[in-house]
Amino acid sequence: MGRKAGGEDMRGPIGIKISSRRKALAISQAELARRAGISASYLNLIEANKRDVGGALLKRLAGELAIEVGELTGDSEHRLIAELEEAFADPVLANLGLGSGGVRELVARQPMAAAALAQLYRAYAAAVASADDYAQRLRADPLFAQLLHRIVSGITAVRSSAEILEDVPDLAAEERRRFHATITREAKAMTEVAHGLIGQFDREAEGRRVVSPVRELDDMIFRNDNYFPRLEAVAETLRGEIGTLNEGTLIDALEARFGVSVRRSAGREVDARGFPGQYHFNTARREMWFQTSAMAATRQFQLSRLYAELAARDAIEAETEAPELRSPTAQRLAYRALASYVAGAMVFPYERFLGDAEELRYDIEALRQSYTASFEQVAHRLVTLRRPDAPGVPFGFLRSDPAGRLTKHFPLPGLLLPNSGHACPLWAIYNAFRTPEQLVRQVVQFSDGSRYLFLARTAVRRAANFSDRAIHISVMLACDVLHADRTVYGVGLDLGDSEADVPVGPACRLCTRRDCPERQEEALTPGSEQGAVRAPLVPRI
Amino acid sequence: MALDVLIAEDEPSILESLDFILKRAGWSIASVTDGEAALAALKRLKPRVLVLDVMLPKRSGFEVLKQIRADELTRDLPVLILTAKGRRRTAARLKSSGQTGS
Repeated sequence: MGRKAGGEDMRGPIGIKISSRRKALAISQAELARRAGISASYLNLIEANKRDVGGALLKRLAGELAIEVGELTGDSEHRLIAELEEAFADPVLANLGLGSGGVRELVARQPMAAAALAQLYRAYAAAVASADDYAQRLRADPLFAQLLHRIVSGITAVRSSAEILEDVPDLAAEERRRFHATITREAKAMTEVAHGLIGQFDREAEGRRVVSPVRELDDMIFRNDNYFPRLEAVAETLRGEIGTLNEGTLIDALEARFGVSVRRSAGREVDARGFPGQYHFNTARREMWFQTSAMAATRQFQLSRLYAELAARDAIEAETEAPELRSPTAQRLAYRALASYVAGAMVFPYERFLGDAEELRYDIEALRQSYTASFEQVAHRLVTLRRPDAPGVPFGFLRSDPAGRLTKHFPLPGLLLPNSGHACPLWAIYNAFRTPEQLVRQVVQFSDGSRYLFLARTAVRRAANFSDRAIHISVMLACDVLHADRTVYGVGLDLGDSEADVPVGPACRLCTRRDCPERQEEALTPGSEQGAVRAPLVPRI
Repeated sequence: MALDVLIAEDEPSILESLDFILKRAGWSIASVTDGEAALAALKRLKPRVLVLDVMLPKRSGFEVLKQIRADELTRDLPVLILTAKGRRRTAARLKSSGQTGS
């Protein structure tokens, strides 16, 4: 993965790795320091993770240690660390008092064991969730109650008939036959009930999974650094077929090649599964429907996606044959995500878009105008500009609903973006809801000293009519402050001065800033005093 | 002649056994298969004892028992409850519905 200085300022396990690599090569600290042109005491601080190391110095150290810079910075390890911090903070492990320092050391020294631990924790979390689901089901499910009642009744009938047969010596032949028949009948009925019950459990088991499908998809996207060269090529071919891509040419191409018609109406319609939306494709009628409220950007994007799915289904499906995608649900989610990827690549061709982005200094509003695109579409495409020989600014991506729940995310190595639940309430993604459809920018600092530029803006899905309601979401991009001056959003910010940085964390649960007035939930950090639980915040007047 | 036992039970196989055992002991028996029919039959047949299943269609055994205890005419009728559950919670519910013995 060709990454630039992106995550280098993270005080990850770099120090430990330098130290163990040095020891493995039997070089003394003083010797390595001399070769790298720094003092032994400074190297000592670096190895103890007390000083950041990056840029030229890191390159020199890596060179002397005959190791790739990437191996020392270990982007994928940041994610592993984040996962293990979450695991160690879980109440089930909290009593062991495993600090986050321990996590970094573990990942640095025993990467395989650390990965195994993370995998086990995921499986454990999934198992707990599934056990909860079962308990809930069994309590509430009338079907189970009914089946169990049938079984108990059957047993009672068999037992009483059997007892009569046994206890009544002078039973008439006719009566005897009757009770035997009852036993046989009830036993048969119970077999059927038992089969029904087993079938029920089998169906349940099919839906069960060890790792959540969303996580599987995450892993797949992460491994590919959110860049899929084969799909870029597919998009290029499809664009060639269509010519100049816009709504009109897409409609013509869909009609000519696939006999698809496009219909627009004001009413409310649902798709094949009964979900309402602003658009859906009716496979049987080969008809794409848009509600009249759907914006031009939405129509163009969805028509591109439909074209991609009809023209390049096999190519997209081939990408879902990834080792991470073990469950059918994950594969389905991946198919949807990758079809959107192709649509994005069709609307924003890689090289042209990268060129425009650089020229417009990543001004999202300006890019929207050139491509008839929504804020979210542009933001999403920016995240995928990761071609090793022509990368754009590395961005992470988050989307939140008005309840603060995160509904979509693309991770940025080094930065922990929660993939579900809520993020830190101080993040721009939430501030943006206060100033709808205006961009909010923010320079934040995490407790490990890492600094990021956050850009957030709300988007609205328009109401179709008086009785419909507009739906608001907030979309956020995050990049390392090191890249901020490559963007228009660095203008007017003194990026060298961290005085005005907003001190944030990933989410309350995982945040170590104990004195933060915005804290909504106690950190699950092991070692923190139990019983220091803070009541939910009330407005301070 | 007054009826000895009314059985309210919807499972035919269980009813069959009950009917056999009680008749063999010399009791006169009538049976119904749901809660509403049980209440109607009580008024009409005036049995000396009611054997009542808890899980009955239309009206549950709980409801039937409540009605019986609320009615001046049937208040003192001995009721034998049949339940497959045999749980403390069921017993507590029965007590609150007016079951006296155990």
